[in-house]
Amino acid sequence: MKVVAENFFDYTGTQVLKVSLEARQWITYLKDFIVALVAGPLRAKEMIFQIYEIGYKSTPIILLSVSFAAGVTIIEYSYHIRLVIGTAALVPGFAALLVLRELGAVITALLLTSRVGAGIAAEVGTMKVTEQIDALKLLNIDPMKYLVVPRFIATIVSSMIIVMFANATCLFFAMVVSMYKLSFTWESFIHAMNHFAQFKDLILAMVKAGVFGSVIPVVSCFYGFHCKAGAEGVGRATTQSVVTNAILIIGLDFVLTYLFSYLY
Amino acid sequence: MSSPLKIIDEVGGGMIFLKEILSTAFKTPPDRESVLTQIYSVTSQSLSTTVASGFFVGAIMTVQFNAQLKQFDALSVLGGLSTSGTIRELGPLLIAFMLSGKVGAFTSAELGTMRVTEQIDAIRCLGTNPIQYLVVPRFIGIIISSFFLLFAGLLMSIVGGACLAVLVAGMNVTEYIHGIPTYVSWASVAGGLFKCSTFAILLATICTYKGYTTTGGSKGVGRSVVATALSTMVGITLLDWLTSLIIGAL
Repeated sequence: MKVVAENFFDYTGTQVLKVSLEARQWITYLKDFIVALVAGPLRAKEMIFQIYEIGYKSTPIILLSVSFAAGVTIIEYSYHIRLVIGTAALVPGFAALLVLRELGAVITALLLTSRVGAGIAAEVGTMKVTEQIDALKLLNIDPMKYLVVPRFIATIVSSMIIVMFANATCLFFAMVVSMYKLSFTWESFIHAMNHFAQFKDLILAMVKAGVFGSVIPVVSCFYGFHCKAGAEGVGRATTQSVVTNAILIIGLDFVLTYLFSYLY
Repeated sequence: MSSPLKIIDEVGGGMIFLKEILSTAFKTPPDRESVLTQIYSVTSQSLSTTVASGFFVGAIMTVQFNAQLKQFDALSVLGGLSTSGTIRELGPLLIAFMLSGKVGAFTSAELGTMRVTEQIDAIRCLGTNPIQYLVVPRFIGIIISSFFLLFAGLLMSIVGGACLAVLVAGMNVTEYIHGIPTYVSWASVAGGLFKCSTFAILLATICTYKGYTTTGGSKGVGRSVVATALSTMVGITLLDWLTSLIIGAL
């Protein structure tokens, strides 16, 4: 629907129509999705395959990025803590808290967005463009149940598992970096870290990762299902899904951080 | 991206493409109007996302630092610390992530569609150098607008931090802003700008390269968009570490 706006009212009306159309699409989509999710039976085999695809195959690249992020965290943190307190003794504790509470979950989620989210949007979008989704409907198969639900559960499960490994890797490399740059021994690092970090930080990080993981496939499949025809449509659907996911993740992260700040 | 050999191949291809872009840009500069158009479209496309996420990042930083500083009764440094952290580290990183999601994916989809529908070949047939006509303006546009976006994002992160400092930590706004100049040195600002420009160059190279070398129809466009999003994010985290080391060593 491409309308050239002629004046203010025309423009406003067009925008309102566009937004309400998209809101209606979202509401019907979410309704269909929840119905399909509750109605079950789950496709267990497909789900395990998706966990392999999403979880196992994304793990190396996430661990690689996270280990570099650990180095950055330690370097930046020691700069700031020195600026304020004048000693590096508190760096492990603060850095571990930042890693466990924010960085581990958010970096994992953003990388999953670009690897898994963009992949799902491109895959489903290509299926839509090549009319495979219409073929599924013709065969009386609900594409929600067939495509979205397995990916939804698989992404939640794998992001919760990945985030544990990501946090562990991040803390390990943080330890290595602070051994070389700040002359900690590993015992003093762990001792200083234990002073601040608690086990519930890890649990809350997993909760965060689960929430982020539930957002990614739903948003990506939405843009895949509403993909316009042609090569341009697939590219656009992928772009939109990455952007929407990234903003939702950062926004949700804020909400969760705010809620969790009462639990710490 | 399965075998290491392929990754090396891709990195080398990107380097050669960057060299080609730079030599074209210096030998036959693009016309000013197309560069300005690109700057405008990149900035206006991603301004809203950058502003929104800048606000949230400032807010998150404040909530987290507040939880940690409260134990030491050191709330007076809250504004300075979270702003300094945003300028040195999180701001450039955030702008780069947002740009890679929005502009990087969009550019590679656009160039990929042009490649797949043979528009790039048509441009070459008409005697125009497609790199000069399509790639160089986008390359320069992304780099220049990343600075505008960095500025907007930093401003919003200060606003977001101040809002949450009022709501959560019970400070007032002047108190929050008062601490900023004490902890934000010019070296930090220069470091942030340096980071931002390296990220922008990496991002602009990867997305134009991936788009320009797309093959295989609509599936191929989807593939190159996914590859762009992934390789920019990983590349940015690696560069982030590298630039932190360089800035720390200076």
